[in-house]
Amino acid sequence: MIARYGMTIDVDRCTGCGACMVACAVENNVPPAHQGANDRKGITWIRVFQVNNGQDYPNRRSAFVPVLCQQCGKDAPCASVCPQQAVEIDPATGIVGQMPERCLGCRYCMAACPYHARYFNWWDPAWPAGMEKTLNPDVAPRMRGVVEKCNFCHGRWHAAIERAAANGRSIQAVDYVPACVEACPTGAIQFGDLNRPESAPARAARNGNSFRLLEKIGTDPKIYYRSTKDWVHRISSAPAPGLGKERSRG
Amino acid sequence: MDKEFIARGVKRCSTPRFLLWILPWLSLLAFGLYSAGLCLVKGLNQTNMDNRFAFGLWIFLDLTVIALGAGAFFTGFLLYILKLKELRAVINSAVVIGLVCYSGAIAVLMVDVGQPLRAWFTFWYPNVHSMLAEVTFCITCYLTVLAIEYLPILLRNRKLREVPSFLVFEHELHKLVYVLAGVGTFLSFFHQGSLGGLYGVLRGRPFAFREGFLVWPSTFFLFIVSAAAVGPSFILLTTWLVEKISRKRLARPAVLELLGRISGLLLAVYVLAKTMDTLIWINRTSPDAGFPAAQYYAWRPFGTWILFAEIVLFGLVPALVMLAPWLRRRTGWLVSAAAMACLGVALNRFVLTVQTLALPTLAFDKFLSYWPSWQETGTFLAVVAYGVLVYSFSFRYLQLFPEERELKAEVRQEKEEELPAMAGRY
Amino acid sequence: MNTTRRDLFKFVGGSVVGALFTPAPWRLVTDTALWSENWPGIPRPARGEIRTKFTHCALCPAGCAVRARCVGDQPVALAGVPGHPLSHGALCAIGLTAHHLPYHPSRLKQGPAGEAAQAVSAAISKCGPAQHAAVLDLRPGRTASWTYRRAMASVKHGLYLAPPSPFGGSVAFDLHQAKTVLSFGAPLLDGWGTPGNVIAARENFRLIQAEPLESRTASLADLWLPIRPGAEEALAQAIANVLADGKPRSPFAAQTGLTEQQITSVAEELAHNGPALVLDGGQIPAVMELNRRLGSLGRTIVARRETPVPESWKKAAPVTNLASVPDGSIRVLLIDESVMDAYLPWSMIERKLVPDDPLVVTFAWSRQGYARHAQYVLPAAVYPEIFDDIPPAIDSVAAVFRIAAPLVEPPAGMVNPSEFIGGLAGLPAADALRQRADAIHQAGRGTLFTCAGAKSVPVKEVKPDDFWKALNEGGCWLDAVDESGAGHRFLWPANADDEKRSSAPPEDLPLVAITCETRAAAAPLSPLMSKLYQESNLRLAANHAALNPATARACGVGEGARAILRTHCGSAQIEVSLDSGVPPGVVKVAAGPGIMDLCGASARAQVVPA
Repeated sequence: MIARYGMTIDVDRCTGCGACMVACAVENNVPPAHQGANDRKGITWIRVFQVNNGQDYPNRRSAFVPVLCQQCGKDAPCASVCPQQAVEIDPATGIVGQMPERCLGCRYCMAACPYHARYFNWWDPAWPAGMEKTLNPDVAPRMRGVVEKCNFCHGRWHAAIERAAANGRSIQAVDYVPACVEACPTGAIQFGDLNRPESAPARAARNGNSFRLLEKIGTDPKIYYRSTKDWVHRISSAPAPGLGKERSRG
Repeated sequence: MDKEFIARGVKRCSTPRFLLWILPWLSLLAFGLYSAGLCLVKGLNQTNMDNRFAFGLWIFLDLTVIALGAGAFFTGFLLYILKLKELRAVINSAVVIGLVCYSGAIAVLMVDVGQPLRAWFTFWYPNVHSMLAEVTFCITCYLTVLAIEYLPILLRNRKLREVPSFLVFEHELHKLVYVLAGVGTFLSFFHQGSLGGLYGVLRGRPFAFREGFLVWPSTFFLFIVSAAAVGPSFILLTTWLVEKISRKRLARPAVLELLGRISGLLLAVYVLAKTMDTLIWINRTSPDAGFPAAQYYAWRPFGTWILFAEIVLFGLVPALVMLAPWLRRRTGWLVSAAAMACLGVALNRFVLTVQTLALPTLAFDKFLSYWPSWQETGTFLAVVAYGVLVYSFSFRYLQLFPEERELKAEVRQEKEEELPAMAGRY
Repeated sequence: MNTTRRDLFKFVGGSVVGALFTPAPWRLVTDTALWSENWPGIPRPARGEIRTKFTHCALCPAGCAVRARCVGDQPVALAGVPGHPLSHGALCAIGLTAHHLPYHPSRLKQGPAGEAAQAVSAAISKCGPAQHAAVLDLRPGRTASWTYRRAMASVKHGLYLAPPSPFGGSVAFDLHQAKTVLSFGAPLLDGWGTPGNVIAARENFRLIQAEPLESRTASLADLWLPIRPGAEEALAQAIANVLADGKPRSPFAAQTGLTEQQITSVAEELAHNGPALVLDGGQIPAVMELNRRLGSLGRTIVARRETPVPESWKKAAPVTNLASVPDGSIRVLLIDESVMDAYLPWSMIERKLVPDDPLVVTFAWSRQGYARHAQYVLPAAVYPEIFDDIPPAIDSVAAVFRIAAPLVEPPAGMVNPSEFIGGLAGLPAADALRQRADAIHQAGRGTLFTCAGAKSVPVKEVKPDDFWKALNEGGCWLDAVDESGAGHRFLWPANADDEKRSSAPPEDLPLVAITCETRAAAAPLSPLMSKLYQESNLRLAANHAALNPATARACGVGEGARAILRTHCGSAQIEVSLDSGVPPGVVKVAAGPGIMDLCGASARAQVVPA
């Protein structure tokens, strides 16, 4: 079965609870923050941002936007730039896969990605004593010096394929969901095969309220965001200068 | 005490004095090696780079240093392929500078990657579409070429010449010099270009992304031209600097003026090409990606002044100065223009590495800033110290400037001619 | 033929060259890549048989059903149970990472249980006539709570204390019945009640959120009313005026910071788009009055029967509200903070202690809570090690009984608060949960929901042993609908804490400090929660505060500055960030036990550069 897995994220439903962020970290053996880590050095394969309409109090309105690897199409900016072919677009699933075992840590792919979806292991992973017992056996922990990112819980896809094969059939659309989709309490994140017109992402792609981030760049991402609020749609386009730069850390 | 290693006919300072000169550089190197060691042992968390600033001081340094070291291949091209014989005076110095620049860049690159032990993966699993793979191949090959070109200079040392096999080897090698120059030019063409291509292909960064010719974005060609333009300037600058520090005449003014003229010409071509490219980018490429160009310059402190500084102040102005014969003849103007040209290229590399990453791409991104940590700065200073040390040793024990002996004789003659005029006063 | 050395060399040389044409050496080279991946120090996940266990999360009153994926006996992932009648498959970020808590670096590993028991007995015997030995139960309504009440009935001067609760008796808010909900800052979409239940009911009602900050709930509400800090009571009064007379009476309308038009429109909506429900954090008397006026009592606010208890237990000490205890009368205080509904600021507790040499013993999983103020800190097991039941949540209309069945063994050295306190009165506490389950089974009403089968069965059809077994495997008892609730009397809430009623802001404390992320003060957080705090800007990290840029300038602090937050309870170091979405005059500060001791839910404050 040739699938093109995608997601639709309903921004109006996201409460910013962060369940997706921690469920992802639990599933993929992402370690807790090192002492020196902050939001610029931490590893959050999926990260929920709080965006707002640019107004001050009391006209400020906020929304929450989970951002993860957008699983770009065949011209994914990161795939063509990796000198070691550590990034591969799986033809069977459309998932942009990252091979930490082959990664040199040059971080060229991180410079290439406009969605900041790639994370570097600045430290060796460290879990508090005993907590390594809670690691997921299906995913290998990475060491420092390599890049990692969301891969739509590729390990779960493999497990689903094996289960389906054990049951004597091929994988069906409903057989696997990534951890974030499973954890989202409001159902804001939905997952499916874009090649099937009845799947949630395929229907979202046809919906007038849907948009993708930075569409004009030509990355052809497979994550469709949806909102009925007009101002939310502004997050899909290029940034406009803000009121001041963030203070530098360092 | 090391007199026998110093070439005949030239004077070098006394050994204790030389030790005094290299001591601070050695300490700097030691400190830098310690910094680099920390980064290798403890990991890249020792730096201030982060997930948004994936590249920092080191990549900027690499790009700048390789652009400045382009004097090596370009001078070789001009001398051996285009037969501009005057440049024989500086070719050895250019090779040493090139060697130092490229080896330093590769050393820093090894510290910059997260897994240096996997450096061979690029050669084992090369991605033909990746500009960085191309850069890796080309600069390692070119470093080999430079090492081979440095070998004859080394072997011509007064002491080493006494070994007959070295002499024969050096002589035979010299026959290959045209091949080496050609190969070096070819390789440099590609890696200077690919370094530009690194940023020009980034479709996800409309600030850096450029249209181009076939698979090569315009930055590919702009980098080649700018490197060719600044290479001679850097040779000029270093020669003048070494003359000043060693208080010797090492090359005829005509040589420096030639270098200046070549640099000015290429710089002018570069400024023209860059202006055209910038206009196309502002009016077509960037807006087509949904990023109106004006917004890039609305983020403080990167205003349009940086564009102006890069193209006009440190581009057009030094080009015009170096093209004007009456200004070229004055050392002050010439050297200042060369320095500005080098700064302009450094600024260009800075804009493409640091500014590209500082600028937000998503609407809800913040504009971030970055300042290197002391470990990063230390590693950078280690490269500088390494360069100065290698050059110092090369200058002391090898014949970097073939014209030095003649110029020394001329100076002595001038002094003797002066004396009769003074003799009568006492 | 003679084999010479040269032949040997030729053979070896030829083999080497030949081998290069085989895959062997190249394979070895590529395999070194694998070796470089597995350096020592990188843990390897343990492998084993994958099992599924069910339990309930004990970290907050919601008590969501949990499905644990275990490798052998070790949980490696937690998830909600889809289709569950109470939690509907939801599990929040804190619950999703709870399997890390047994390995939390801050957890207490040992404590002087014997010494503490002796000290408690000695102190009880020293109690004067008007003095008490009390248990402060920070999650009342459990079976363990009954144990404490029974123990305190036997202990001399014994008193059972519970935090101030907004309602006397068991009351629940029925969101499914509501068409319009007005919330005075209750975090309805941010951990209130049972999140899965709120989400399931959300489509049915229009939410109006009245609070000074644009909280997560406010940003998702259908309407956010940006009232001035402290103006909740004024708004409630103003709306009541509109309902009574048709327009808001001054000065209430002006105090809120809203226009008369806004207030009138909200009041009309509540009146005409019913059934309505007005919620708050439990501090405002006017809110209950509003509910009464709108006819919510009995419709969207309903009485809930108590989960059955064995008859013999009913001879227990009554539930005493902490606020109603005379100041300075408690000589011995045992605090069960091993599970907490909400963190009470220490000042609320401290004032009730005798001034000379009180004895405070706390049962805690870490030093983060009241341990700083206690003489004896006894280590308690933490979820998912505990064996405890979770009382029904505030939005649970029917009584429930669900057990947090332990997923892992607690380490040696843990003290069980029930057994310790029961031991003071000679009560065997170990069987309490079984006795409770038997009493429920005997009452004969309600249904049993089992996660494994995802089905509900009437309790009458289940044998007592099977009932107990099912409860231990993540099953849940739900009461039948209470037809006889009509006559319930709703008690008005106790008067709000006087500290918050001062009308004139003191000059030296010009700002209002409003705490957010209060869950962080009450529930243990896995180290992995750094994803939400430290490694992203999603939640304000502990001891961080956000100020409006104009307010920050007035205080003399800038972005990222270290500052001191001062209230009349003390001061604390904070790190400041600027946010123009925060109203001027307000400092939004992330809660942690230290900050809660300083500010409570909100307090007058001052921010100065450090």
